[in-house]
Amino acid sequence: MNASRRAYPLANLFANPGWWLALAVVLILPLTLNSGTLATEVLVYALAVLGCNLLLGYTGLLSFGQGIFFGMGSYTLGILMTRAGLGLPLSVLLALVAGALTAALVGWFAIRQRGTYFVMLTLAFAQMFYFLAYSLPDWTGGDNGLLNIPRPPLSLFGMTLMPLDSPWRFYTLVAVCFLVVFWLLQRVTASVFGRTLLAIRENETRASAVGYDTRRFKLAAFALSGAVTGLAGAFHALMTGIAPLSNIEYHTSEMILVMTVIGGTGNLFASVLGAAFYVLMSDWLSTLWPRWLLLLGLLLIGVSLFMHKGLWGLLQRGWTALRRGRAAAAAPEGAPEGER
Amino acid sequence: MNVYLLQVVNGVGVGMLYFLLAVGLSIIFGLLRFVNFAHGAFYLLGAYFCYQAVAWGLNFWLALLLVPLVVALLAWLAERTLLRRVYDRPHEFHILITVGVALVLQEVVILIWGPLGDNVATPAALQGVVMWGGFIYPKYRLFVIAFTAVFALLLWWLLEGTRLGSAVRAGSESAEMVSLLGINVFRVFGLVFALGAGTAALAGALAAPIRGVDPFMGLEALGVAFVIVVVGGMGSFSGALVGGLLIGIVQSVMSTLWPEGARLMIYVAMAAVLLLRPHGLLGRG
Repeated sequence: MNASRRAYPLANLFANPGWWLALAVVLILPLTLNSGTLATEVLVYALAVLGCNLLLGYTGLLSFGQGIFFGMGSYTLGILMTRAGLGLPLSVLLALVAGALTAALVGWFAIRQRGTYFVMLTLAFAQMFYFLAYSLPDWTGGDNGLLNIPRPPLSLFGMTLMPLDSPWRFYTLVAVCFLVVFWLLQRVTASVFGRTLLAIRENETRASAVGYDTRRFKLAAFALSGAVTGLAGAFHALMTGIAPLSNIEYHTSEMILVMTVIGGTGNLFASVLGAAFYVLMSDWLSTLWPRWLLLLGLLLIGVSLFMHKGLWGLLQRGWTALRRGRAAAAAPEGAPEGER
Repeated sequence: MNVYLLQVVNGVGVGMLYFLLAVGLSIIFGLLRFVNFAHGAFYLLGAYFCYQAVAWGLNFWLALLLVPLVVALLAWLAERTLLRRVYDRPHEFHILITVGVALVLQEVVILIWGPLGDNVATPAALQGVVMWGGFIYPKYRLFVIAFTAVFALLLWWLLEGTRLGSAVRAGSESAEMVSLLGINVFRVFGLVFALGAGTAALAGALAAPIRGVDPFMGLEALGVAFVIVVVGGMGSFSGALVGGLLIGIVQSVMSTLWPEGARLMIYVAMAAVLLLRPHGLLGRG
């Protein structure tokens, strides 16, 4: 308990400010951005990054295969809506399930290994699913991807709830789902299950010695992560109207992982920060210079050398410094304020 | 039947290149417990440097000697200035920093040579085919098999028969112990990293006349190298050889049976091996 408190001082200032910060982001995006699609993209990737963070930050599993689940979500939604003619809510739900099932399958193989071996396995699986999608053009559209995915009005049991034709209307739907998922994940990570995952992250051998079936916990974390990532993939397909091959590519996995580490691991709101930073920066830089990935590469080198806790860690440090400064100003000759 | 025999020989050629590509990754991992996501980028540099050397009219043989040395030097500098600083960090930072290095190298390649690929001419002496009865085979591919076989022997001698090699092998067991014995492990790390990058560059240079060059070949190679290391077993020289040959042959034979799925079958083979032997064919578990 003490260790985790020391690790996240800011998180303990208020009961749990994460969800309120996420809500603030959801409200600020429409006020600051002109493009509803760009705002939606931020939330879609934030969802995917939350899924990745659950594995990396809470379970200590570095998965290079998050693109698999993202792509699975996109393809499932695309196939169900264009071929099977299913409605939007059911398609999104089934895309989520498909993400979870794929993640359980990949996880079942991958968690047989630990550490770097595990990382390589997830990467190899990412390649495998990419080539699988590529070799099944009847299902996935191959190189072209699945085209013309519709975005009908949101309706439940024949009742039309909300049209989704404009980007901002679609943003509203994604924002609501995003806040629900964020809240659920906050509950999950604070639960006994979440605490057990943290124990596995800290010391897997000890966690299993205490009697936890760590494999089952890791598998569950994988499925949950896959579900959230699959949901993100489904929303991405709805947003762009296509389910392209690139959604299941290595590059997507890499991007999700990079966002996660840039934001900072082990804190849910850090994922939202990481996704927002990456999506907005890449949107801005790519219009300036087609070779902006070079700058991203330099940024990654910089983060790994100097910014180990990501953007969230940077904010935390700034916050602590600010509090110290204020405390020092309030009691200049008094004893230094304790940490707790 | 002849077609399959041809594909098996083809597979051996591809497999030997795959071995060169993967062996460096495997040794680096074995000694440093360091996952090098920049490994594909060194392969990419090798191919492009070879392309440039040939374009300048430099002798192909000289290029084959110089290119790996230049890339090894670059890798050594990167190891000294950047990578060394993150060895004691959790492995997500190993991955992050090497992904960063790989991105930078890939984008620099695009800046210099453009986003489109190109072909590299086969050296004049190795153009054409060899014919033995009904068996017809391109000369250059035969040369690649012979050359990589000789190089593999050299590398094996370097690892098994020299002081550096014994330091590397002992360091894979326990780097701490080796440094207590008075060997400068950090210097060995640097040398091994350079050696690994150099072999990847050699693979790239050898592959250039076969497959041409393009800026994304590094990424593709990285995926294949990981599969081989997973299949063969981490940190194992012979594992990289067996894994490389297996994957090369699977890919070549499948490319006649099911061309669209040939790349997919590599990964299916990997999954099959993992089910039977979780630590790879020759890995110690």
